[in-house]
Amino acid sequence: IDRKEWADLEPVPQDDGPNPVVKIAYSEKFSDVYDYFRALLKNDERSERAFALTAEAIELNAANYTVWHYRRVLLQALSKDLREEMRYITAIIEEQPKNYQVWHHRRMVVEWLNDPSEELEFIADILSQDAKNYHAWQHRQWVIQEYKLWDNELEFVENLLEDDVRNNSAWNQRHFVISHTTGFSDPAIVEREIQYCLSQIKKAPHNESAWNYLKGMLQDRGLSSPPGLLERVLELKDTHCSPYLLAFLFDCYEDALENSNQKENVGEEERKETLRKALEICELLAQEKDTIRKEYWLYLGRSLKSKSGISSPSDESPEPSVPASGQQEMS
Amino acid sequence: SAETRPEFEQIDFLRDRHVRFFQRTLQVLPERYASLETTRLTIIFFALSGLDVLDALDVIDRNVMIEWIYSLQVLPTEDQSNLSRCGFRGSSHIGIPYSTKGPGVLHPYDSGHVAMTYTGLCSLLILGDDLSRVNKQACLAGLRALQLEDGSFYAVPEGSENDIRFIYCAASICYMLDDWSGMDIQKAIEYIRGSLSYDNGFGQGAGRESHGGWTYCAIASLCLMGRLEEALSQRELDRIRRWCIMRQQTGFHGRPNKPVDTCYSFWVGATLELLDVFQYTNFDKNRSFILSTQDRLVGGFAKWPDSHPDPLHAYLGLCGLSLIGEPSLRKVHAALNITQRAFQHLQQLQQTWKDSTVNNNVHFGV
Repeated sequence: IDRKEWADLEPVPQDDGPNPVVKIAYSEKFSDVYDYFRALLKNDERSERAFALTAEAIELNAANYTVWHYRRVLLQALSKDLREEMRYITAIIEEQPKNYQVWHHRRMVVEWLNDPSEELEFIADILSQDAKNYHAWQHRQWVIQEYKLWDNELEFVENLLEDDVRNNSAWNQRHFVISHTTGFSDPAIVEREIQYCLSQIKKAPHNESAWNYLKGMLQDRGLSSPPGLLERVLELKDTHCSPYLLAFLFDCYEDALENSNQKENVGEEERKETLRKALEICELLAQEKDTIRKEYWLYLGRSLKSKSGISSPSDESPEPSVPASGQQEMS
Repeated sequence: SAETRPEFEQIDFLRDRHVRFFQRTLQVLPERYASLETTRLTIIFFALSGLDVLDALDVIDRNVMIEWIYSLQVLPTEDQSNLSRCGFRGSSHIGIPYSTKGPGVLHPYDSGHVAMTYTGLCSLLILGDDLSRVNKQACLAGLRALQLEDGSFYAVPEGSENDIRFIYCAASICYMLDDWSGMDIQKAIEYIRGSLSYDNGFGQGAGRESHGGWTYCAIASLCLMGRLEEALSQRELDRIRRWCIMRQQTGFHGRPNKPVDTCYSFWVGATLELLDVFQYTNFDKNRSFILSTQDRLVGGFAKWPDSHPDPLHAYLGLCGLSLIGEPSLRKVHAALNITQRAFQHLQQLQQTWKDSTVNNNVHFGV
């Protein structure tokens, strides 16, 4: 800090009282910058020197939201060049891409400029460094939705899934794009998406994201509703098995049982068989394919049995109303 | 048992190291922690609640802590013109002179931050304070000023990002102050429902990727509001249970196909507890993972093994262990994220508030 230039201002130190807690030990240089920042803030000074100081304060601590807010006040009060500010914030985000304040600042500047033209490319660059950066994806969704930039996003998503078919953020973006454009009501779209999912699953069977997408798309329309879907999944059971495939089958059987309650032409034998298959899946998951969730799969089996109202010869006594806890004791 | 495990897999819980980790956190941190300046009150919360979980609050000077926290309260000015900016600050970074009593100082940029009001109140409760110096009406006015039309909250009245994290902070504040005039519950519920993803986890807002932290915020908020089963159907709750329980790999991760991280043993574990299915997770694997991130030298826990510990992961690692019943750790209230002990103190406080209201009504013939 050039003392001459700031001679008119009395620096304001931080005051934590007689017994500071979680005190951060700042160097003299750091305290200097922030002591003058506090002085400017107190007077609400609107000047070039204040604007310049915010950059120094940001360099020392880019998470200080008050500094960013004050900088925005100055950007407007001094009619600063917002294009230059875009360049500035671009550089900062590249250095610190997981900071909430810098992304919020960028959003504000984009809104003031009413110009999203750099955003998709910029975010793509950030994602090329970390394809799952939550801030980046959030900003991307905001830009696309606010400025209606849907056109090339499905292609962008598919390229990312080519790079990494297990990128859950990209699968989420796929759902985001389609639900806001064509939607999922058209059977042709649903079929296209089913095929897309199954082909990705064939390439990489152990991928929760693909299965979550498939189930998520269909769960409210009825998992057993697309004709032949159950069979297509059963085809994969031996060669491309995973806990997610088996869970999907369980959900299909559960769905079928629920719907068959309303259907006259579904006989008791058919319902019993569906339940039997569902419980077989639970056993397989609990004992072999997803043992970490053993207790959960057993609990699900008990719940389904109880809900289905189907009794079997092996039932000696009424089902317990509270499923038994299978948890191991901590000694 | 510890004796039969191979030496490289030491999983004993080093209680004393963690106590000292939190003690040091409460003292002085080096300059490289500068980015924590505006959130220092949350760091106090992690340390105090961590010590509480360890049943080691006797190592700190409660009164010193209480005074410092009250110095962070943004109180109404003489003319009450700043009510919509009241609450608690994260630290003294704005430069307001130290004071633990009102009236508030008029300053163009001084206002509370919703996460600091939340952790400030929790910290006072943990320290056994009776909140009598909290200006509750001012806090609630400050809170109301932060809620948007869509039901979410800003962090500060000057504006910030808005999302589900701050709904959780708001719900916690209203719950602790036993006063829901601080927020429009219905709108908050709509925002929460809107954040439910196609895969049955919750994102930070509509359309966003589901995530263990935001799922905790959603479910815990609904529980604090007492609206869990009103806001979500049984079918939805079962689907959410499934999403959550699939997060366990050894410990827990926050999103599908991401690496496990100690803090999710709490975020996801507590959510599963609130949904009554935590008992069906694998305690042994969860415990082994959390302890693999324990720093055997300086104490605390890190997000991953062989990484540096930090106060957040140290605290949430302990909470994760508490959920699975680690002996010597106090039980944690899953929705409010304080110990059951601190929660009982809150309940007693709230009872005295109710009793005094009744007495006042009787006295004044209401």
